Amino acid sequence: MSSLRLDHVSKRYLIRQAHVGPAPQGLVARVRQRFAPAHVFWALRDVSFEVARGEALGIIGPNGAGKSTLLKLLAGITAPTSGEISISGKLSALLEVGSGFHPELSGVENIYLSGTILGMQRKEIAAKLDAIIDFAGVRAFVDVPVKRYSSGMVVRLGFSVAAHLDPDILLLDEVLAVGDAAFQKKCIDRVLELKRRSTVVFISHDLAAVQQLCDRVIVMNQGEMIYDGATAGAMAAYSALARFRSSPPRTAQSLAKTAEVVSLEFLDGVGEPVHIVKTGDALRIRIEYKARIAVADASFNVFFYGADGALYCQFTTWLSGETAHLAPGNGIVEFSCEELGLQPGTYLIDTTIEQHGNNLDWQSRCSTIQVNAGKPVKGLFYHPHTWRETSASSILSEENVTVDPGNKV
Amino acid sequence: MRALPAEQVLSTPFSGRPTKNIRPPSFEPWRLWSAGRELLRYRDLVVTLSLHRLSVRYKQSVLGWAWALVQPLALMLIYTIIFSVVTKMPDEGVPYAVFVYAALLPWTYFATIMTNSATCLVTHSQLVTKVYFPREILPLTYVVAAFVDFLVGAIVLAGMLVYYHLSLTLYVWYLIPIMAVLSAFGLALALFLSVLQVRMRDIGLAMPLVMQIWMFATPVVYPLSAVPARLRFYYDLNPLAGTIESFRRVLLQSKPPEYSSFIEASVIAFVLLPLAYLFFKYREASMADYI
Repeated sequence: MSSLRLDHVSKRYLIRQAHVGPAPQGLVARVRQRFAPAHVFWALRDVSFEVARGEALGIIGPNGAGKSTLLKLLAGITAPTSGEISISGKLSALLEVGSGFHPELSGVENIYLSGTILGMQRKEIAAKLDAIIDFAGVRAFVDVPVKRYSSGMVVRLGFSVAAHLDPDILLLDEVLAVGDAAFQKKCIDRVLELKRRSTVVFISHDLAAVQQLCDRVIVMNQGEMIYDGATAGAMAAYSALARFRSSPPRTAQSLAKTAEVVSLEFLDGVGEPVHIVKTGDALRIRIEYKARIAVADASFNVFFYGADGALYCQFTTWLSGETAHLAPGNGIVEFSCEELGLQPGTYLIDTTIEQHGNNLDWQSRCSTIQVNAGKPVKGLFYHPHTWRETSASSILSEENVTVDPGNKV
Repeated sequence: MRALPAEQVLSTPFSGRPTKNIRPPSFEPWRLWSAGRELLRYRDLVVTLSLHRLSVRYKQSVLGWAWALVQPLALMLIYTIIFSVVTKMPDEGVPYAVFVYAALLPWTYFATIMTNSATCLVTHSQLVTKVYFPREILPLTYVVAAFVDFLVGAIVLAGMLVYYHLSLTLYVWYLIPIMAVLSAFGLALALFLSVLQVRMRDIGLAMPLVMQIWMFATPVVYPLSAVPARLRFYYDLNPLAGTIESFRRVLLQSKPPEYSSFIEASVIAFVLLPLAYLFFKYREASMADYI
C-alpha cells in the first residue's frame, strides 16, 4: 500500500541571466530584458518512486542534487513541470520551525497561529496545547510576546508545534538540529515515536542521521535518482559519487597550474581504501599530485568541512615550517593519523597545494568521508588519551611534596 | 534504481484516506469546486489569521482600536470643510458630514482591502515559500479584517444618524446585498492583484495613486446625480459607482438602490470573482518560484 508516489516527476526552472555590468538603461531595455530568453535549469529529471505506508525513506545527495526541490514538491509549495505526485493521507512538513510566528503575539497565540498554518484545527490545538507547551518547556512564558523569548525558546516552541501534528506522512528536513543536546535528543525520540505510526521521508545530507532513522535510502545527484535501496549500499553510492572529482575538461587556467592534485583517497590503518571510518580509527589520506615544473617550498593541505559548512579540522604538511620540494611529474603525499578525532557525521573535503601563501591548486569539496560512531565520547571531538590507576597514597605523597616547606626555593 | 512499471502505477489501490494529486499547473474550471472544499477545510486558519491581523495591528499603539476610526473620520472632516464650508457641493438634503461619511465608510473598506491585500503574498513570502496552505487565505483574511474595521466605523455612522435625527426605513436591508457585492468585487481584485504583484512589484507601488484617482471617479464626495447623463454609461463601468451610491441612498434617502447601476456592479463582481479565483489557483503553484 503506497502512501506517497512520484510518477516521472520533473521540475524545470527558468533562470533569467543576472545582468552583468551596469543595469540596462531606459524603459525599453528593461522591458526587453524581462522577456529575454531564460536559461533552463532542470532541478529534477524524471524521478519516480513509491513509499509504502509505515516506511522510513531517507533522501540524500550533495548540494544541488534536487533535494530541496523535491521537498517543496512533496510539501505542495510548488508544482512539478511534468509528472504527477500522489499523496494518500495527511502530509505534514517540518521544513521550517516556527512557520508563521509573529513576534508581537504571545506564546499561546503563536501556537494557534503556527498550528493552523501547518493544517491543524483549533479544536485539535486546544486539546494538545498543554503537551505542546510542556514539550517546548516554556510553561512560564506562554503569555509573554514571543519577541521577548530567547532564540532557543522560539525554536523549541516551533518544533514542539510541528511535532504534535500527527500526520500520516511526515516530511523532515534538517530540522532535527535545533536546540541544545538535551532538546535534540527529545526531538529524535519524538520523530522515532512518530515513525511508528506514520510514513517518514527524511531529506538530509547527513548520512549518520539518515542511517539512524531510515530503512531505505534514495541517493540523488544533479536532479536524478542514482540509487534506491538499503541504507548500507546508499553510503557507498553517495561516497562514490563524491569521490574525487578533478574538474575536467582541462581549461587553459588549469593548464597554467604549476602543480595540481590529481586524486585523493582515504585509506584505513592497513592501507585499504575506505569511505566510512569510525571515531578513533586510524586514517591515512593519499594525495596524488602532478607538477609541471619543479616546485620548491610546497605544502599540502586537506580541510574537513562539516554538514553545517564549518571547518572542523585541517591536515597539513606545514606543521612546523617544513616544506616539500616537488620534482616535475607525478608524486604522492600521504598523511597519516593514528586516531581520528572527528565525531560522527559527514565531512566534505577541500584540498590545496600551497606555495609561499598562494594556492597553486585548490580542489573544493572534492571528496566526502563518513565518520560513524566509534569511541563513545561526548563533546565536539575525540581527543586521544590514555589512563592509569594511581593509588590514594601516591596522591597524598604528591600533596606532601607541594606543602613541604623544604621544597620552597 | 527501482523503476515503476506504468501498469503498476495505475493499478496500485489507495486506502480510504483522502488522496491528493499534485500535477503541473493547468487552467481547469472544475478545479474551483475542489479548491473551495479545500478552503473550507482550512477555515480555522482563516479565523486564526483574521484574528491575528486584528490583534497585531494595534499592538503597542496608544490609540489602539480608535485607529480604525481615524481614517474615515479625518477624511470626513477634511471633505466637510472643503465641500460645505469653502465651497458648496450638492448634498441631496442631508448634512454634508453624514452625506460624505456614509460613502467614505464603504469606500475605506474597499480601499483598505486593495492596499493591504495587493502586497500580501509578497509580505508573507516567508510563509509562501515554506509551508503549504491555500494561498487565497492571505488576501481573504485582509478582507475579513477590513470588514471588522468597517463595522467599527459603522458605529460612528449610527451615532451620526441619531444626532442628525435621520430615521431608517426598511430599505436599509439592501445594505446586505450591497456589502456582499462590494466584498466580492474587493476580493476578486485582491486575488487578481496579489498574484500579479508576485511577478510585478509595480502593482503595490501604483496602488496608493490608483486608489486616490479611483476615489474621485466614485460618488464619494459628490452624488451620482451630479454626473452628466452623457457620461453615465462609462461612469457605471466602475462597479463602485453603483455600490457606493446605493449604500448612501438606502441609508440616508430612504430610497431603493440605483437599480441599473447596482445590477451592473453585481454582475461585474460575481463574474469577476470566480475568474479571479481560477486565475489565482492557476498561478498559485508557481508563486513560490517567483516570489
